[in-house]
Amino acid sequence: MSNVDRREFIKLVGAGSVGVGAGFMLAESIKHPVEHLIPYPVPPEEFSPGIATWYNTVCGMCPAGCGISVRTREGRAKKIEGNPAHPVNQGRLCALGQAGLQVLYNPDRLTAPLLLQGKRGGGDFIETTWDEGLSNVASRLAAGSGGDRIYLLSEGVRGHLANLFELFMGELKSANLLYHDFAHPHSLYAANARLFGQTQLPYYDIQNTRYLLSFGADYLNNWLSPVHYSLGFGRSRQDNEGARGRFVQIEPKMSISGAAADEWIPARPGTEGILALGIAHQLLADGVYAGGSDAVDWNAALSAYTADNVAAKTGVSAETITRLASEFGHAEPALAIGGGPAGNHTNGTETLVAVNVLNYLVGNIGKPGGVVFNPDPVAGGSAPSRQANFRDLQELAEKARQGAIEVLIINNTNPLFTLPNSAGLNEALASVPLIVSLSSFMDETTAMADVILPSSTYLESWGDDMPQPGVGFSVGAVSQPVVAPLYRTRGTGDIILGLARKLGLNEAMPWASMEDFLKDGWRNIYERDSSGDGDFDSFWRDVLIAGVWGENERLTGSVVIDKQVIDNIAATEAEFSGDPDIFPFILQPYLSTALYDGRGANLPWMQELPDPMTSIVYGTWIEMNPVTAKQLGIEEGDLVRVTSEQGSIEVPALVFPAIRPDVVAMPIGQGHDAFGRYAQNHGSNPIQILAPDTDAESGGLATSATRVTLERTGGHAALVKIGGESRQLGRNIVQSTGSGDAGSAGHSAKLNSIPIVVQSS
Amino acid sequence: MSVSIVPTLKVLLPAARIALVMLLGLIAGFYANATFFPGTSPEQPIAFSHRVHATDNEIPCMYCHVQARRSISAGVPSVSKCMGCHAEVATDRPQIRLLANYWENKEPIPWIKVHDLPDFVHFTHKRHVLAGIECQTCHGPVETMDVVSREAPLKMGLCLNCHKDNEVEHGTDCWTCHK
Repeated sequence: MSNVDRREFIKLVGAGSVGVGAGFMLAESIKHPVEHLIPYPVPPEEFSPGIATWYNTVCGMCPAGCGISVRTREGRAKKIEGNPAHPVNQGRLCALGQAGLQVLYNPDRLTAPLLLQGKRGGGDFIETTWDEGLSNVASRLAAGSGGDRIYLLSEGVRGHLANLFELFMGELKSANLLYHDFAHPHSLYAANARLFGQTQLPYYDIQNTRYLLSFGADYLNNWLSPVHYSLGFGRSRQDNEGARGRFVQIEPKMSISGAAADEWIPARPGTEGILALGIAHQLLADGVYAGGSDAVDWNAALSAYTADNVAAKTGVSAETITRLASEFGHAEPALAIGGGPAGNHTNGTETLVAVNVLNYLVGNIGKPGGVVFNPDPVAGGSAPSRQANFRDLQELAEKARQGAIEVLIINNTNPLFTLPNSAGLNEALASVPLIVSLSSFMDETTAMADVILPSSTYLESWGDDMPQPGVGFSVGAVSQPVVAPLYRTRGTGDIILGLARKLGLNEAMPWASMEDFLKDGWRNIYERDSSGDGDFDSFWRDVLIAGVWGENERLTGSVVIDKQVIDNIAATEAEFSGDPDIFPFILQPYLSTALYDGRGANLPWMQELPDPMTSIVYGTWIEMNPVTAKQLGIEEGDLVRVTSEQGSIEVPALVFPAIRPDVVAMPIGQGHDAFGRYAQNHGSNPIQILAPDTDAESGGLATSATRVTLERTGGHAALVKIGGESRQLGRNIVQSTGSGDAGSAGHSAKLNSIPIVVQSS
Repeated sequence: MSVSIVPTLKVLLPAARIALVMLLGLIAGFYANATFFPGTSPEQPIAFSHRVHATDNEIPCMYCHVQARRSISAGVPSVSKCMGCHAEVATDRPQIRLLANYWENKEPIPWIKVHDLPDFVHFTHKRHVLAGIECQTCHGPVETMDVVSREAPLKMGLCLNCHKDNEVEHGTDCWTCHK
């Protein structure tokens, strides 16, 4: 060390200093970060930090209306489970319901009222106060020339919120209260109204049935009330004394329900009603129908639907039809349900009427294991009639274009995503002077609003629900806030009441909050409830603790069908948009298990949930039969341009054996261009290219009526999925069902080589 | 001809010297921080003395930390609990005035955590209190401290040794604490 000169010395001092500094900072960086212990100034009663409190409330993720129990700690929601006391889900909950926490804690939530600055759709909003936001809207509502220029387009709401909407719009002298849910089963409502005169959906008692014939109803996935039906399916398979329930699924693309069925029959799309009447004809021929004087009428109405005639039209062999009829007619009880693609054709209502005819002929109406009618809900009974079908929405767009809409209030529904471009709503909205959106997220529709009044999530709001379809008896469930609102948001009911106050409607709508309105409404339920002997306050507390109230008594009795109705029963083939020579394939968009109609797309848990049939996560894909793929020279992952008369989208192909060669299928839910960081820029939205065809009778959008053509673009995109090999390669991991005898082949087949012949219609 | 690596090393010598000094500095800096700024007794928003309360006035721990025998967390007393006494007691002292200030504004007191476990450790006070473990076993003689400082390291070894000594059932299973 003798040769340290001055320069060297300075270098060493410098190095030492840097070292000491770095060492100090290193020690600092590995220290535990400062955390605080924040006591309550005044603790809530019976509150203990560290001890979870469970609140029962209602799930708001889909229209099924399951009861949930939410575990909270220190005022934060931690976990959602099913409420065991709720008759719909009986303690179970689906993945979407579990992911409700990610709605609550979503980083893309709207946190304060917003006013648009500059051009609509430009995305430039400034925050404002609730007082100013509400005043802003109220002044425009008051200035509106005539109530009928005010429109309220909402998600389907039920219970007392529906009553509140009715009251509010009534006070504004506007009849324009419309509900829009993409998956609302318009044709099923219409079919039950036509045949049985029912305005509510009946209860399908899958649990107690011995033979279930499902025409396209994917009831294990997302048809009406999937948690309840899945539970019923399990019990019908395992808990029925003596017999395992048999289950046949008829649909062009195998759904998760089809995969669980004993037999999967891919009848020609749009001929499901003809098939049902063919089976009905056979039931009459077999003498199964023990009915009275109307047997003659039925024979007359169904005489054309002989097994041979029906076989020619549906592609299902006459032997299969007679066998199904014999099985269905002799299983007691037997139940037929219909929905999904079968109800989404231009003849959807016709088809579902035909399915109900089967129930009538085997005499399962009002019986265990059959179709049980539901009483009118104890509140909000008008809700189903407010559902806007596609024609209503086209009319809404037309009114907007004509300048007949002054104010459009949109509540938590996203028609710009769930309506095809051909509906023309996007352009029409430009002619509406004021668009107000009540939503928790900046979805496609909210992005077009002038004023955004952010609604709290269902976990932060008061409300109630009368599930639709019900479970055969009166049920009501109260939705209570399990946590205080995280941001400057308000419950939908409170926003409406706030507007009413600003408009000076205090006399007609005197309630200070949704909670007060709810309690007022529940006094009626308390009065009809005979079981309790306490006062209203203890009844209310009991309902809040249990999360649900019900009468637990099923309606019984039968139904009489008029001769006129019987005479009108017929089934025709569905119509499709597009020349079959140019557009050879029928596009079947289906509700995604994880994303439902797209509302789950902003939840990372749902994005990461593999599709149960294909195991794909993220993105959109198009499923096609191996035969089709081979004809077109398409392999898995090839980018395909899917073109309808309405437009085209590009998606990667998936070669999927369990689909008819003349049908291609795409999941709905992706393809958002707004709706937050997790939803945007994944996949494409097949709804966009659907033709504006409707079910003739109910007016609902016929989502399965569009024909498309496929074309390789030359690009390639790897599908993200679990497992590389979709075939079993002789390992016999999963027992496969024979597909029956679709098409002309007529022999049973393995899942990976379904012998269906492309039928050019 | 012989090849030597010595000339090469000689060239590197000044650089090595600098690196060595830097390393020594690093170690010194690290220890200086750990010794003089251990962060085990942070300054609190109110200079609350456990000695005054627990020793001088003989208030039991669980009079204030009332949740310890019922919950996973011992719970810091609410401001209203403090004011239960201090509305009457020692109201003229500056620190109590600070407390009263928080109370009047209905604001919580932002105490700084002294004893903290990582989030991947599932520790419950209830079980330990009900098993008769003294608070001081993990927290040290808090009742003698004017400023609370962390005396026990609260590392995994402490937990395991105690579980072994007391022959706790499944006391050394991973999932007992990490779940």
